[in-house]
Amino acid sequence: MNRSHKGDHSDKCQPTFSVLLVVLALTLVGCATTGDVEQQIVASKTDPYESFNRKMFGFNDSVDNYVAEPISNAYKWITPQFMQTGVFNFFNNLKNVNVVINDVLQAKFAQSAEDTGRFAINSTVGLGGLFDVAKHVGLEQNEEDFDQTLAVWGVPQGSYLVLPILGPSTARGIPGSIFDTAANPASYIGMPVQLLSLLNARASAEGALKFIDEAALDPYVFTRESFLQWRNHLATDGNSEASFDMDGLDDELLDDGNGAASSQGSLDGANANDKSGLDLRLDEKTKEIEQAPR
Amino acid sequence: MLLKNMKLAAVFIFILCGTVNAFALDEGGATAKQVVEKFQVDLIDVMKAGKKLGYAGRYDKLKDPVSNSHELTKIARIVVGKEWEKLSEEQQQKLVDVFSRLSIASYAHNFKDYSGESFVFDSEEETTRGGVVVHSHLVIPGDKPVKFDYMLKEKGNSWRIINIIANGVSDLALKRSEYTTILQREGFDVLISKINEKIDNYSKQ
Repeated sequence: MNRSHKGDHSDKCQPTFSVLLVVLALTLVGCATTGDVEQQIVASKTDPYESFNRKMFGFNDSVDNYVAEPISNAYKWITPQFMQTGVFNFFNNLKNVNVVINDVLQAKFAQSAEDTGRFAINSTVGLGGLFDVAKHVGLEQNEEDFDQTLAVWGVPQGSYLVLPILGPSTARGIPGSIFDTAANPASYIGMPVQLLSLLNARASAEGALKFIDEAALDPYVFTRESFLQWRNHLATDGNSEASFDMDGLDDELLDDGNGAASSQGSLDGANANDKSGLDLRLDEKTKEIEQAPR
Repeated sequence: MLLKNMKLAAVFIFILCGTVNAFALDEGGATAKQVVEKFQVDLIDVMKAGKKLGYAGRYDKLKDPVSNSHELTKIARIVVGKEWEKLSEEQQQKLVDVFSRLSIASYAHNFKDYSGESFVFDSEEETTRGGVVVHSHLVIPGDKPVKFDYMLKEKGNSWRIINIIANGVSDLALKRSEYTTILQREGFDVLISKINEKIDNYSKQ
Protein backbone atom coordinates (compact mmCIF):
# COMPACT_ATOMS: atom_id res chain seq x y z
CA MET A 1 0.00 0.00 0.00
CA ASN A 2 2.82 2.32 -0.79
CA ARG A 3 0.48 4.47 -2.83
CA SER A 4 -0.93 5.96 0.33
CA HIS A 5 2.40 7.44 1.25
CA LYS A 6 2.77 9.41 -1.93
CA GLY A 7 2.36 12.75 -0.27
CA ASP A 8 4.07 11.97 2.98
CA HIS A 9 7.51 12.93 1.79
CA SER A 10 6.72 16.43 3.01
CA ASP A 11 7.58 15.01 6.43
CA LYS A 12 11.13 15.16 5.37
CA CYS A 13 11.07 18.90 5.08
CA GLN A 14 9.66 19.63 8.50
CA PRO A 15 11.15 22.87 9.78
CA THR A 16 13.64 22.02 12.43
CA PHE A 17 16.92 23.87 12.14
CA SER A 18 15.38 27.24 12.70
CA VAL A 19 18.61 29.24 12.52
CA LEU A 20 19.74 27.59 9.32
CA LEU A 21 16.32 28.19 7.90
CA VAL A 22 16.34 31.91 8.56
CA VAL A 23 19.76 32.31 6.97
CA LEU A 24 18.60 30.32 3.96
CA ALA A 25 15.37 32.19 3.68
CA LEU A 26 17.23 35.49 3.55
CA THR A 27 19.54 34.36 0.77
CA LEU A 28 16.83 32.63 -1.22
CA VAL A 29 14.24 35.36 -0.95
CA GLY A 30 17.01 37.54 -2.33
CA CYS A 31 17.32 35.19 -5.28
CA ALA A 32 13.57 35.10 -5.75
CA THR A 33 13.23 38.84 -6.10
CA THR A 34 16.12 39.29 -8.50
CA GLY A 35 14.88 36.39 -10.64
CA ASP A 36 11.85 38.11 -12.18
CA VAL A 37 13.54 38.98 -15.44
CA GLU A 38 15.01 35.54 -15.77
CA GLN A 39 11.56 34.01 -15.41
CA GLN A 40 10.48 35.33 -18.82
CA ILE A 41 13.41 33.71 -20.58
CA VAL A 42 13.10 30.29 -18.99
CA ALA A 43 10.04 28.39 -20.24
CA SER A 44 9.20 26.88 -16.87
CA LYS A 45 6.83 28.94 -14.76
CA THR A 46 6.95 27.05 -11.51
CA ASP A 47 10.60 26.05 -11.57
CA PRO A 48 12.75 28.84 -12.98
CA TYR A 49 15.71 27.84 -10.80
CA GLU A 50 15.78 24.24 -11.96
CA SER A 51 19.54 24.00 -12.37
CA PHE A 52 20.10 25.29 -8.80
CA ASN A 53 17.28 23.10 -7.51
CA ARG A 54 18.66 20.00 -9.19
CA LYS A 55 22.03 20.61 -7.55
CA MET A 56 20.36 20.93 -4.16
CA PHE A 57 18.26 17.85 -4.84
CA GLY A 58 21.40 15.91 -5.65
CA PHE A 59 23.09 17.25 -2.52
CA ASN A 60 20.12 16.33 -0.31
CA ASP A 61 19.99 12.90 -1.89
CA SER A 62 23.66 12.30 -1.06
CA VAL A 63 23.18 13.57 2.50
CA ASP A 64 20.21 11.24 2.80
CA ASN A 65 22.09 8.24 1.39
CA TYR A 66 25.25 8.71 3.40
CA VAL A 67 24.04 10.33 6.62
CA ALA A 68 20.29 10.45 7.26
CA GLU A 69 19.36 6.99 5.99
CA PRO A 70 22.08 5.06 7.89
CA ILE A 71 21.29 6.94 11.11
CA SER A 72 17.57 6.49 10.58
CA ASN A 73 18.04 2.77 9.95
CA ALA A 74 20.10 2.45 13.11
CA TYR A 75 17.41 4.34 15.01
CA LYS A 76 14.74 2.01 13.67
CA TRP A 77 16.86 -1.00 14.55
CA ILE A 78 17.41 -0.03 18.19
CA THR A 79 14.01 1.57 18.81
CA PRO A 80 10.94 -0.61 19.24
CA GLN A 81 7.97 0.28 17.01
CA PHE A 82 5.79 1.44 19.91
CA MET A 83 8.47 3.96 20.91
CA GLN A 84 8.78 5.25 17.35
CA THR A 85 5.02 5.70 17.27
CA GLY A 86 5.16 7.41 20.66
CA VAL A 87 7.84 9.84 19.50
CA PHE A 88 5.89 10.54 16.31
CA ASN A 89 2.71 11.15 18.32
CA PHE A 90 4.53 13.42 20.77
CA PHE A 91 5.83 15.79 18.08
CA ASN A 92 2.65 15.53 16.10
CA ASN A 93 0.70 16.60 19.17
CA LEU A 94 2.91 19.65 19.75
CA LYS A 95 2.31 20.61 16.12
CA ASN A 96 -1.37 20.99 16.98
CA VAL A 97 -0.67 24.32 18.69
CA ASN A 98 0.32 25.61 15.28
CA VAL A 99 -2.59 23.83 13.60
CA VAL A 100 -5.07 25.58 15.90
CA ILE A 101 -3.48 29.00 15.26
CA ASN A 102 -3.72 28.44 11.52
CA ASP A 103 -7.29 27.15 11.77
CA VAL A 104 -8.22 30.49 13.33
CA LEU A 105 -6.20 32.51 10.81
CA GLN A 106 -8.11 30.73 8.03
CA ALA A 107 -11.43 31.35 9.83
CA LYS A 108 -12.03 27.61 10.27
CA PHE A 109 -13.52 28.03 13.72
CA ALA A 110 -15.31 24.70 14.04
CA GLN A 111 -12.15 22.89 13.04
CA SER A 112 -10.10 24.97 15.47
CA ALA A 113 -12.39 23.84 18.30
CA GLU A 114 -11.93 20.22 17.23
CA ASP A 115 -8.17 20.57 17.02
CA THR A 116 -8.04 22.26 20.43
CA GLY A 117 -10.00 19.33 21.81
CA ARG A 118 -7.61 16.97 20.11
CA PHE A 119 -4.60 18.70 21.64
CA ALA A 120 -6.24 18.74 25.09
CA ILE A 121 -7.18 15.05 25.02
CA ASN A 122 -3.81 13.85 23.79
CA SER A 123 -1.86 16.09 26.18
CA THR A 124 -3.79 14.74 29.19
CA VAL A 125 -5.29 11.30 28.63
CA GLY A 126 -2.67 10.64 25.95
CA LEU A 127 0.12 11.20 28.51
CA GLY A 128 1.65 14.36 27.08
CA GLY A 129 0.91 13.33 23.50
CA LEU A 130 2.67 9.95 23.51
CA PHE A 131 -0.61 8.23 22.68
CA ASP A 132 -2.99 9.40 19.99
CA VAL A 133 -6.19 8.88 21.97
CA ALA A 134 -8.11 11.53 20.03
CA LYS A 135 -7.93 9.48 16.85
CA HIS A 136 -9.96 6.76 18.51
CA VAL A 137 -12.75 9.14 19.48
CA GLY A 138 -13.03 10.36 15.90
CA LEU A 139 -10.80 13.43 16.00
CA GLU A 140 -8.45 12.99 13.05
CA GLN A 141 -5.24 14.96 12.76
CA ASN A 142 -5.71 17.97 10.47
CA GLU A 143 -2.91 19.29 8.31
CA GLU A 144 -2.74 23.06 8.57
CA ASP A 145 0.25 25.36 8.43
CA PHE A 146 1.10 28.96 7.72
CA ASP A 147 1.90 28.30 4.07
CA GLN A 148 -1.71 27.15 3.63
CA THR A 149 -2.94 30.19 5.53
CA LEU A 150 -1.00 32.45 3.17
CA ALA A 151 -2.57 30.55 0.25
CA VAL A 152 -6.04 31.12 1.69
CA TRP A 153 -5.17 34.81 2.03
CA GLY A 154 -4.39 34.89 -1.67
CA VAL A 155 -0.59 34.97 -1.60
CA PRO A 156 0.69 33.27 -4.78
CA GLN A 157 2.80 30.15 -4.36
CA GLY A 158 5.88 31.53 -6.07
CA SER A 159 8.76 29.54 -7.47
CA TYR A 160 9.60 26.00 -6.51
CA LEU A 161 12.75 25.79 -4.40
CA VAL A 162 14.76 22.90 -3.05
CA LEU A 163 16.39 23.89 0.23
CA PRO A 164 19.54 22.23 1.55
CA ILE A 165 18.66 19.50 4.10
CA LEU A 166 15.06 20.70 4.38
CA GLY A 167 14.02 19.63 0.89
CA PRO A 168 11.19 20.87 -1.36
CA SER A 169 9.60 24.25 -0.70
CA THR A 170 8.30 27.30 -2.52
CA ALA A 171 8.90 31.04 -2.22
CA ARG A 172 5.72 31.20 -0.12
CA GLY A 173 6.72 28.14 1.88
CA ILE A 174 9.77 29.84 3.39
CA PRO A 175 8.01 32.55 5.43
CA GLY A 176 5.43 29.83 6.12
CA SER A 177 8.08 27.56 7.62
CA ILE A 178 9.56 30.37 9.73
CA PHE A 179 6.15 31.08 11.23
CA ASP A 180 5.45 27.39 11.80
CA THR A 181 8.82 26.90 13.49
CA ALA A 182 8.16 29.85 15.78
CA ALA A 183 4.68 28.59 16.65
CA ASN A 184 5.81 25.04 17.43
CA PRO A 185 6.72 24.42 21.09
CA ALA A 186 9.17 21.71 19.97
CA SER A 187 11.38 24.46 18.52
CA TYR A 188 12.12 25.76 22.02
CA ILE A 189 13.03 22.49 23.66
CA GLY A 190 16.61 22.25 22.50
CA MET A 191 18.84 20.59 19.99
CA PRO A 192 18.88 16.90 21.04
CA VAL A 193 15.09 16.76 21.08
CA GLN A 194 14.89 18.42 17.68
CA LEU A 195 17.35 15.91 16.29
CA LEU A 196 15.11 13.14 17.57
CA SER A 197 12.18 14.78 15.82
CA LEU A 198 14.14 14.96 12.57
CA LEU A 199 15.30 11.37 12.89
CA ASN A 200 11.80 10.18 13.55
CA ALA A 201 10.45 12.17 10.60
CA ARG A 202 13.03 10.50 8.35
CA ALA A 203 12.07 7.09 9.72
CA SER A 204 8.37 7.67 9.03
CA ALA A 205 9.08 9.01 5.54
CA GLU A 206 10.86 5.75 4.66
CA GLY A 207 7.85 4.35 2.78
CA ALA A 208 7.36 7.49 0.71
CA LEU A 209 11.05 7.73 -0.17
CA LYS A 210 11.08 4.09 -1.20
CA PHE A 211 8.02 4.69 -3.35
CA ILE A 212 9.71 7.58 -5.15
CA ASP A 213 12.80 5.50 -5.69
CA GLU A 214 10.75 2.68 -7.18
CA ALA A 215 8.29 4.65 -9.26
CA ALA A 216 10.17 7.69 -10.51
CA LEU A 217 11.82 7.80 -13.91
CA ASP A 218 13.19 11.23 -13.03
CA PRO A 219 13.17 11.49 -9.22
CA TYR A 220 13.69 15.26 -9.30
CA VAL A 221 10.64 15.92 -11.49
CA PHE A 222 8.60 13.29 -9.65
CA THR A 223 9.34 14.90 -6.28
CA ARG A 224 8.67 18.41 -7.56
CA GLU A 225 5.34 17.56 -9.18
CA SER A 226 4.03 15.48 -6.31
CA PHE A 227 5.16 18.10 -3.78
CA LEU A 228 3.46 20.98 -5.62
CA GLN A 229 0.26 19.01 -6.21
CA TRP A 230 0.18 17.81 -2.60
CA ARG A 231 0.64 21.36 -1.26
CA ASN A 232 -2.08 22.61 -3.59
CA HIS A 233 -4.36 19.82 -2.40
CA LEU A 234 -3.79 20.84 1.23
CA ALA A 235 -4.15 24.56 0.60
CA THR A 236 -7.50 24.09 -1.14
CA ASP A 237 -8.62 21.36 1.27
CA GLY A 238 -8.93 18.95 -1.63
CA ASN A 239 -11.56 20.95 -3.45
CA SER A 240 -9.86 22.29 -6.51
CA GLU A 241 -7.43 19.78 -7.86
CA ALA A 242 -9.92 17.59 -9.68
CA SER A 243 -11.57 20.36 -11.65
CA PHE A 244 -8.23 22.05 -12.28
CA ASP A 245 -6.86 18.88 -13.68
CA MET A 246 -9.94 18.10 -15.73
CA ASP A 247 -9.95 21.35 -17.64
CA GLY A 248 -6.42 21.03 -18.93
CA LEU A 249 -6.85 17.40 -19.82
CA ASP A 250 -10.17 17.92 -21.52
CA ASP A 251 -8.63 20.49 -23.81
CA GLU A 252 -6.00 18.00 -24.68
CA LEU A 253 -8.48 15.27 -25.45
CA LEU A 254 -10.82 17.43 -27.47
CA ASP A 255 -8.01 18.57 -29.70
CA ASP A 256 -6.90 14.98 -29.87
CA GLY A 257 -3.45 15.79 -28.67
CA ASN A 258 -2.61 18.31 -31.39
CA GLY A 259 -0.60 20.99 -29.72
CA ALA A 260 -3.24 21.67 -27.10
CA ALA A 261 -0.64 20.95 -24.49
CA SER A 262 0.29 24.61 -24.31
CA SER A 263 -2.91 25.23 -22.38
CA GLN A 264 -1.44 23.23 -19.55
CA GLY A 265 1.01 25.82 -18.45
CA SER A 266 1.75 24.46 -15.04
CA LEU A 267 2.19 20.91 -16.23
CA ASP A 268 4.34 21.75 -19.17
CA GLY A 269 6.17 24.25 -17.06
CA ALA A 270 8.36 21.36 -16.10
CA ASN A 271 9.76 21.06 -19.54
CA ALA A 272 12.01 24.00 -19.93
CA ASN A 273 13.84 23.30 -23.13
CA ASP A 274 17.09 23.74 -21.37
CA LYS A 275 19.71 21.92 -23.30
CA SER A 276 22.70 23.71 -21.94
CA GLY A 277 25.76 21.65 -21.12
CA LEU A 278 25.29 22.34 -17.44
CA ASP A 279 21.85 20.81 -17.36
CA LEU A 280 22.83 17.71 -19.23
CA ARG A 281 25.74 17.19 -16.91
CA LEU A 282 23.41 17.58 -13.98
CA ASP A 283 20.94 15.18 -15.49
CA GLU A 284 23.61 12.59 -15.73
CA LYS A 285 24.57 13.27 -12.18
CA THR A 286 21.01 12.78 -11.03
CA LYS A 287 20.84 9.57 -12.96
CA GLU A 288 23.91 8.32 -11.20
CA ILE A 289 22.44 9.13 -7.85
CA GLU A 290 19.19 7.50 -8.85
CA GLN A 291 21.01 4.30 -9.73
CA ALA A 292 23.35 4.36 -6.78
CA PRO A 293 21.10 2.67 -4.17
CA ARG A 294 20.43 -0.33 -6.38
CA MET B 1 -60.45 16.00 -13.62
CA LEU B 2 -59.08 16.23 -17.11
CA LEU B 3 -56.14 18.20 -15.78
CA LYS B 4 -55.50 15.52 -13.20
CA ASN B 5 -55.56 12.85 -15.88
CA MET B 6 -53.17 14.80 -18.02
CA LYS B 7 -50.85 15.12 -15.07
CA LEU B 8 -51.06 11.42 -14.47
CA ALA B 9 -50.40 10.77 -18.13
CA ALA B 10 -47.41 13.08 -18.05
CA VAL B 11 -46.03 11.35 -14.96
CA PHE B 12 -46.60 8.02 -16.62
CA ILE B 13 -44.74 9.11 -19.74
CA PHE B 14 -41.87 10.37 -17.63
CA ILE B 15 -41.64 7.09 -15.78
CA LEU B 16 -41.76 5.21 -19.05
CA CYS B 17 -39.00 7.36 -20.53
CA GLY B 18 -37.02 6.89 -17.36
CA THR B 19 -37.17 3.12 -17.53
CA VAL B 20 -36.41 3.13 -21.23
CA ASN B 21 -33.39 5.34 -20.55
CA ALA B 22 -32.21 3.11 -17.77
CA PHE B 23 -32.67 0.12 -19.98
CA ALA B 24 -30.71 1.78 -22.78
CA LEU B 25 -27.88 2.44 -20.34
CA ASP B 26 -27.80 -1.21 -19.40
CA GLU B 27 -27.67 -2.17 -23.02
CA GLY B 28 -25.02 0.35 -23.83
CA GLY B 29 -22.36 -1.04 -21.49
CA ALA B 30 -21.17 -0.18 -18.03
CA THR B 31 -21.52 3.27 -16.50
CA ALA B 32 -18.47 5.12 -15.22
CA LYS B 33 -19.25 4.15 -11.64
CA GLN B 34 -19.66 0.49 -12.58
CA VAL B 35 -16.33 0.46 -14.41
CA VAL B 36 -14.52 1.92 -11.40
CA GLU B 37 -16.24 -0.32 -8.89
CA LYS B 38 -15.60 -3.46 -10.90
CA PHE B 39 -11.92 -2.55 -11.16
CA GLN B 40 -11.71 -1.87 -7.41
CA VAL B 41 -13.34 -5.22 -6.63
CA ASP B 42 -10.84 -6.99 -8.90
CA LEU B 43 -7.98 -5.13 -7.26
CA ILE B 44 -9.08 -6.04 -3.73
CA ASP B 45 -9.51 -9.68 -4.82
CA VAL B 46 -5.95 -9.76 -6.11
CA MET B 47 -4.70 -8.13 -2.88
CA LYS B 48 -6.47 -10.79 -0.83
CA ALA B 49 -4.74 -13.55 -2.74
CA GLY B 50 -1.64 -11.40 -3.20
CA LYS B 51 0.87 -13.36 -1.19
CA LYS B 52 -0.13 -16.69 -2.64
CA LEU B 53 -0.13 -15.38 -6.20
CA GLY B 54 3.28 -13.76 -6.04
CA TYR B 55 4.26 -10.97 -8.41
CA ALA B 56 3.80 -12.98 -11.62
CA GLY B 57 0.42 -14.28 -10.49
CA ARG B 58 -0.79 -10.80 -9.56
CA TYR B 59 0.42 -9.45 -12.90
CA ASP B 60 -1.53 -12.11 -14.82
CA LYS B 61 -4.67 -11.61 -12.75
CA LEU B 62 -4.55 -7.83 -13.15
CA LYS B 63 -3.71 -7.75 -16.83
CA ASP B 64 -7.30 -7.88 -18.08
CA PRO B 65 -8.92 -5.78 -15.35
CA VAL B 66 -6.38 -2.96 -15.90
CA SER B 67 -6.53 -3.10 -19.71
CA ASN B 68 -10.32 -3.26 -19.78
CA SER B 69 -10.93 -0.41 -17.35
CA HIS B 70 -8.11 1.96 -18.29
CA GLU B 71 -7.77 3.70 -21.64
CA LEU B 72 -4.06 2.85 -21.78
CA THR B 73 -3.46 3.97 -25.39
CA LYS B 74 -4.83 7.42 -24.71
CA ILE B 75 -3.01 7.68 -21.38
CA ALA B 76 0.29 6.80 -23.05
CA ARG B 77 -0.44 9.46 -25.62
CA ILE B 78 -1.28 12.16 -23.08
CA VAL B 79 1.76 11.51 -20.87
CA VAL B 80 4.14 12.38 -23.71
CA GLY B 81 2.17 15.50 -24.66
CA LYS B 82 3.24 17.30 -27.79
CA GLU B 83 6.08 14.84 -28.28
CA TRP B 84 3.59 12.21 -29.46
CA GLU B 85 3.39 13.78 -32.91
CA LYS B 86 7.16 13.63 -33.29
CA LEU B 87 7.31 9.87 -32.72
CA SER B 88 7.21 7.41 -35.58
CA GLU B 89 4.37 4.91 -35.73
CA GLU B 90 6.60 2.12 -34.46
CA GLN B 91 7.77 4.30 -31.60
CA GLN B 92 4.18 5.15 -30.70
CA GLN B 93 3.26 1.48 -30.70
CA LYS B 94 6.31 0.62 -28.64
CA LEU B 95 5.48 3.35 -26.10
CA VAL B 96 1.87 2.16 -25.72
CA ASP B 97 3.09 -1.40 -25.30
CA VAL B 98 5.77 -0.65 -22.71
CA PHE B 99 3.55 1.84 -20.89
CA SER B 100 0.74 -0.71 -20.61
CA ARG B 101 3.13 -3.23 -19.09
CA LEU B 102 4.39 -0.60 -16.63
CA SER B 103 0.84 0.24 -15.54
CA ILE B 104 -0.03 -3.39 -14.83
CA ALA B 105 3.35 -4.01 -13.18
CA SER B 106 2.99 -1.05 -10.83
CA TYR B 107 -0.43 -2.29 -9.71
CA ALA B 108 0.97 -5.79 -9.22
CA HIS B 109 3.85 -4.39 -7.19
CA ASN B 110 2.03 -1.81 -5.07
CA PHE B 111 -1.11 -3.77 -4.24
CA LYS B 112 0.61 -6.90 -3.08
CA ASP B 113 -1.17 -7.87 0.13
CA TYR B 114 -4.35 -7.37 2.07
CA SER B 115 -4.93 -6.04 5.57
CA GLY B 116 -8.63 -5.21 5.58
CA GLU B 117 -8.61 -2.39 3.00
CA SER B 118 -11.80 -1.50 1.17
CA PHE B 119 -12.92 1.05 -1.40
CA VAL B 120 -15.90 3.26 -0.66
CA PHE B 121 -17.81 5.18 -3.33
CA ASP B 122 -18.41 8.86 -2.44
CA SER B 123 -19.94 10.65 -5.41
CA GLU B 124 -19.99 11.03 -9.13
CA GLU B 125 -19.66 14.26 -11.04
CA GLU B 126 -19.88 15.23 -14.70
CA THR B 127 -17.19 17.48 -16.09
CA THR B 128 -17.97 20.32 -18.46
CA ARG B 129 -16.79 18.42 -21.50
CA GLY B 130 -18.60 15.14 -21.08
CA GLY B 131 -16.16 13.32 -18.82
CA VAL B 132 -17.10 11.84 -15.46
CA VAL B 133 -15.20 11.95 -12.18
CA VAL B 134 -15.87 9.18 -9.70
CA HIS B 135 -14.87 10.17 -6.19
CA SER B 136 -14.04 7.34 -3.83
CA HIS B 137 -11.69 6.56 -0.98
CA LEU B 138 -9.69 3.62 0.22
CA VAL B 139 -10.25 2.74 3.85
CA ILE B 140 -7.10 1.41 5.51
CA PRO B 141 -7.57 -0.01 9.01
CA GLY B 142 -5.56 2.00 11.55
CA ASP B 143 -4.52 4.61 8.98
CA LYS B 144 -5.93 7.71 7.35
CA PRO B 145 -8.16 6.96 4.35
CA VAL B 146 -6.72 7.74 0.90
CA LYS B 147 -8.86 9.69 -1.55
CA PHE B 148 -9.04 8.14 -5.02
CA ASP B 149 -10.65 10.25 -7.74
CA TYR B 150 -11.03 8.57 -11.11
CA MET B 151 -11.51 10.56 -14.27
CA LEU B 152 -13.27 8.67 -17.04
CA LYS B 153 -14.03 9.28 -20.69
CA GLU B 154 -16.58 7.52 -22.86
CA LYS B 155 -15.12 5.12 -25.36
CA GLY B 156 -17.56 3.52 -27.73
CA ASN B 157 -20.43 2.50 -25.48
CA SER B 158 -18.42 2.10 -22.32
CA TRP B 159 -16.37 4.23 -19.95
CA ARG B 160 -12.63 4.06 -19.43
CA ILE B 161 -10.36 5.48 -16.74
CA ILE B 162 -7.89 8.03 -18.06
CA ASN B 163 -6.60 9.52 -14.81
CA ILE B 164 -6.37 8.65 -11.14
CA ILE B 165 -5.89 11.35 -8.53
CA ALA B 166 -4.72 9.90 -5.22
CA ASN B 167 -4.95 12.34 -2.30
CA GLY B 168 -4.78 15.24 -4.73
CA VAL B 169 -1.79 13.95 -6.67
CA SER B 170 -2.68 13.36 -10.31
CA ASP B 171 -0.98 10.33 -11.77
CA LEU B 172 -1.33 11.66 -15.30
CA ALA B 173 0.14 15.08 -14.53
CA LEU B 174 3.02 13.49 -12.63
CA LYS B 175 3.88 11.07 -15.42
CA ARG B 176 3.44 13.72 -18.05
CA SER B 177 6.01 15.99 -16.41
CA GLU B 178 8.50 13.16 -16.11
CA TYR B 179 8.01 11.67 -19.57
CA THR B 180 8.09 14.92 -21.50
CA THR B 181 11.20 16.06 -19.60
CA ILE B 182 13.04 12.84 -20.40
CA LEU B 183 11.87 12.78 -24.03
CA GLN B 184 12.99 16.35 -24.65
CA ARG B 185 16.33 16.04 -22.93
CA GLU B 186 17.40 12.46 -23.38
CA GLY B 187 15.26 11.08 -26.18
CA PHE B 188 12.93 8.20 -26.89
CA ASP B 189 15.33 5.29 -26.35
CA VAL B 190 16.34 6.50 -22.89
CA LEU B 191 12.67 6.87 -21.93
CA ILE B 192 11.87 3.33 -23.03
CA SER B 193 14.91 1.86 -21.29
CA LYS B 194 14.05 3.73 -18.07
CA ILE B 195 10.49 2.38 -18.17
CA ASN B 196 11.79 -1.15 -18.80
CA GLU B 197 14.17 -0.77 -15.88
CA LYS B 198 11.21 0.11 -13.61
CA ILE B 199 9.24 -2.92 -14.81
CA ASP B 200 12.27 -5.11 -14.11
CA ASN B 201 12.64 -3.73 -10.62
CA TYR B 202 8.95 -4.23 -9.88
CA SER B 203 9.18 -7.85 -10.95
CA LYS B 204 12.15 -8.55 -8.70
CA GLN B 205 10.63 -7.39 -5.44
